[in-house]
Amino acid sequence: MSRILVIEDDPITAEEITAELGNHGHECVWIADGAEALERATRERFDAITLDRMLPGLDGLALVSRLRERKIGVPVLMISALSDVDERIAGLRAGGDDYLVKPFAPGEMATRVDVLLRRANAHADDATLTIGALEIDLRRRIVCVDGEAVRLLHIEYRLLEFLARNVGQAMSRSIIFEQVWGYHFDPGANLINVHIARLRKKLDRPGRVSVISTVKGEGYRLDAV
Amino acid sequence: MLSDRLRFSDIRRTSTFRLTVMLSLVFIIGMVALLGSIYGMTARELTARSDRILRQEAARLLTVPPDQLPAQITDEVARNLHGLNYVALISSDGEQVVGNLRAHGDLPHDHPIDIEGHGRRGPLRLLAVGTPAGETILLGRDISQIRDLREHLLQIVVATGLVMTIGMLLAAVALSLKPLRRVRDLQRASREIAGGRLDRRMPIAGQHDELDQFAATVNVMVEDVGRVISQVKGVTDAIAHDLRTPLTRVRAHLYRAQFLPDVPTNFSALAEKAVTDLDIVLARFAALLRISEIEASARRSGFASVDLSHLVENVFDLYEPLAEEQGVTMRLEESALAVVEADDKLLFEAFSNLVDNAIKFARSAVSIAVSQDSGAVVIDVRDDGPGIAPDERDAVLRRFHRGAHASGLPGSGLGLSVVAAIVHLHGFALSLEDATPGLLARIRIPK
Repeated sequence: MSRILVIEDDPITAEEITAELGNHGHECVWIADGAEALERATRERFDAITLDRMLPGLDGLALVSRLRERKIGVPVLMISALSDVDERIAGLRAGGDDYLVKPFAPGEMATRVDVLLRRANAHADDATLTIGALEIDLRRRIVCVDGEAVRLLHIEYRLLEFLARNVGQAMSRSIIFEQVWGYHFDPGANLINVHIARLRKKLDRPGRVSVISTVKGEGYRLDAV
Repeated sequence: MLSDRLRFSDIRRTSTFRLTVMLSLVFIIGMVALLGSIYGMTARELTARSDRILRQEAARLLTVPPDQLPAQITDEVARNLHGLNYVALISSDGEQVVGNLRAHGDLPHDHPIDIEGHGRRGPLRLLAVGTPAGETILLGRDISQIRDLREHLLQIVVATGLVMTIGMLLAAVALSLKPLRRVRDLQRASREIAGGRLDRRMPIAGQHDELDQFAATVNVMVEDVGRVISQVKGVTDAIAHDLRTPLTRVRAHLYRAQFLPDVPTNFSALAEKAVTDLDIVLARFAALLRISEIEASARRSGFASVDLSHLVENVFDLYEPLAEEQGVTMRLEESALAVVEADDKLLFEAFSNLVDNAIKFARSAVSIAVSQDSGAVVIDVRDDGPGIAPDERDAVLRRFHRGAHASGLPGSGLGLSVVAAIVHLHGFALSLEDATPGLLARIRIPK
């Protein structure tokens, strides 16, 4: 169980966030005031923070900057009604690790928090990821299924590594497009589908269920098979 | 596009230049006419004075008895008392009797004429009068000084005209330069305003002249337009944003409701369909807000040097699997090296929309090409689909307009609007043309 600090001045949004993160098995602490949140985040240990951009007391950008100044490296998901690209860049430059625009689907918010948690827990010296019959050599970028090497294109490898690092959790198409390709627009549902289909074709073996399953209304999930 | 370099052709078209030239020409013509009149009157008066002297002398010599006339003339020549330079008596058979002037053929009597100089002798004003004895008295007066005076006067008229013409041209250019530079500044500002920078204002020089008055009027207009646009945008964004929030919550509730225990199967199916429909509505709201965001941003902070061929190759790699899945052959025909100043994320989004559109409508092939001509980098996305009728090509760039061949295909009618907004933000040009068959979407990036 991870401990998440939810910094949000709107009680309805805060309730949505805490409820959804609770469903994902996290323990949440909700604070509405920026200055108080900075104090708590400095004093106590949290695994991740969801941070509203506009707060009373201390602005979200200033808060995350102060955290980084104090060498507190906790992953921060910034949540804001300001969708402009410049605002997104400002949020990430100030020290945010990810940026989510309001209104958001609670499931997507929780997924992003989970991605941040896994990224923070991933060790740089991890050499391989083994998921069922699938083995990924992270250093040499070699993928094997049942011990047999599979040739993947660069973008296919990145897609697989992202799903593998978040094994067991459904990733929405927009998160996949953002994290793998690095773009923040909607490329249409079909585009990610065909890239997933190509990857499946290379990874799946006859008589066995696909390593990547489609979760209706949510996205794609890599499972150990 | 208007060049910022000032050329003489630009200067001579200005009102200041034309007005200065016109007024100066009137002044020069007046001056030349005045000097010309002085010259004409002076020349006439000097000639008339010579003629009067010649006639007086002729009259005086005619009173001398014929037998004393040769001696009188000889005496006149020797003394030159009356200012006559030349006198001669010519016999009736044309031979010189006395005097210092040779006969000049048949000269009309009593009508002074000019004859040109010869040897050491200068030009003369010559009068011939007949004596009662049938002889002819020739009287000549040197008119070199009069000629010199006339020539000097003429030179003064011509030189004055030339100097004044050059001065007039220089003055016209000098007077035109400053207003022309101000007009150029106004043009630059108006181009930026037309490009979406509604915070830009027309420069005012503080001279309170007609240009300043015009700039101030335009500034008031831009201020009003900016306020109206921002109000409309604010309302649109507020509607889109405020609707998105409850719709997102409804979607989340419906999505969760599908998985509640003891939910009837037909409810789950309906809830799933409602979630799909809500996703479409939310995607359209997102696209609408995205267009507003791009149109309103006028931001150049994300602009940097972008390797176009690399960017287009990335778009190709992203969409090639989609094309293959739809049985469409996709080719990257030409990829010229080109680096442009742009926001790479936005440009990627624009190309992605064009390629996505091309794959959607293509019968069997889509091609992408990056090429260069003399003045621009050109990106072509071509498909062999039904194309867009010429009278519909502007309309498809507007929000929610879907082409005649788009019914039954997925899409919101906002993709090309997003492309148009991005292209406009960058100052590039987007055109939709006939690819015979199919559609050619072309983006021209001026160098």
